[in-house]
Amino acid sequence: MFRLLIAACVLAAGGGIAAAAVVPAPQEKAAALQRRVSVATTDSSAEPATPPGSVPQPIPARMLGLDVPVPIPPSVLRVRNGWLVSDGRTLVAVYSGAAGKDPSVGRLVIVRQDLAAGRQTVRTIDAGPTGALTITSAPLGSAVEMSAQTGSLRVRTAGGRTLRLDLGAGTLT
Amino acid sequence: MRTLAFLFSLVAGLVVFPAVAAATPSPVSAWYVYGSSPAAVASYAYARGCDFAEGQPGGGLRLMLLDFGAARKLSAGTWGTIDFSSTTLSNTDILAALKAAADGYHNCHVRGSVDILYGNSNYHLSASGMSTTDAWYAGYHQSERSEDLFDYQAAKGYDSQTSDAASDMEPSWDGPSITKQLVNGDQAQGWALYYDFGSADGCPQSGSSDGPCNNGWHVSDVAYVSYHGLAMPLPEIYYSVNARQWTVVRRWWNANQGGYVFAGATATTGAGLAPGAAWNTLSSLNGGLVDSELVCFGC
Repeated sequence: MFRLLIAACVLAAGGGIAAAAVVPAPQEKAAALQRRVSVATTDSSAEPATPPGSVPQPIPARMLGLDVPVPIPPSVLRVRNGWLVSDGRTLVAVYSGAAGKDPSVGRLVIVRQDLAAGRQTVRTIDAGPTGALTITSAPLGSAVEMSAQTGSLRVRTAGGRTLRLDLGAGTLT
Repeated sequence: MRTLAFLFSLVAGLVVFPAVAAATPSPVSAWYVYGSSPAAVASYAYARGCDFAEGQPGGGLRLMLLDFGAARKLSAGTWGTIDFSSTTLSNTDILAALKAAADGYHNCHVRGSVDILYGNSNYHLSASGMSTTDAWYAGYHQSERSEDLFDYQAAKGYDSQTSDAASDMEPSWDGPSITKQLVNGDQAQGWALYYDFGSADGCPQSGSSDGPCNNGWHVSDVAYVSYHGLAMPLPEIYYSVNARQWTVVRRWWNANQGGYVFAGATATTGAGLAPGAAWNTLSSLNGGLVDSELVCFGC
């Protein structure tokens, strides 16, 4: 990205993107953009780096208040609260609230990370016209770091109805 | 070709953006950092660097975004973040993690090159007790740590790497005055491009005027944090409305200053638009002005 093509070089190279308009980069960004041009595609060092210690470091199951940042933007979720657990290998975070575009729609967003496989998923579950959802009961502590990831959470609707999120099945009933 | 272009740019003193990609770029993974300790975050970052290298599509320069959470002043003279699991990370901790990511990328490097980004956000800066001056220093030191990372990459012979900064700046999360200071601090330090992977929440979806957005922001404020100084827009396009809002931001800037180009798009799984559709939607509304980058949470 930002290959910083120079107009003359584009022409000299045969005009591969000849139809494209060329936009001058603002002067204040020029040095930083030029730096990117000189990045190679191979390393001059072939020596492997020493990896850090990789002892799994679990995160005990805990509720997340609004003082803790939320990765989900307000356009997706008007967040009420969240819950998190990790056994050091896999992580699950659940955020509750309402849909960003329609506060009458209850919504949960589930972030999962598989740290060994290097996968992260983000899933949204809508509850329908329930109003904002709030997590009211969830497993807590260090004894449930693995089991809670497929356990269940209780969620309250704006009208006071209780729903159950089954993390194993991925259902909200 | 790359070398020729660079040499020519030095001679000519001219840098221009490409006018860009016709084809949808392949997404690259971005990561939310949840850590139990600074050591765990470093280990996590190393693994993500390796994952990124092994999965990197194509042979170009791609952005590897690690989102360390909300910018914070941790104590007098100490800045950093609070991550998504409520672990506080000083900039020293974050730099260690970024170096670990660089090591991981180097050890698993297959093709292409990478720009490793120190990401944070404007989440509840004021509510955490930060002043506008504190936010300025947060941006300043974020850029400084990015430069430190580059020094490390250069010293280690990681020639396929460079470093910059990024911030998820969301109007709903804090006001425009304090958020702009992140950008101003970064520019004052002068090293890092400052990718805005945030939103234009509540902004108008048509026209080019300086209309209102959420939380007291205006279109001009979003334009400022995404293009002033070293800022570059890498907008969050999760729904088609986001692409329309960002198009208004681009139009406003170009009507007043000119030259606004998107560095690409930020996408996610689990929302309205699939990642490729997110980039395509933005590109279709801003022909030739969206670079070939697609950063994705959940891909």
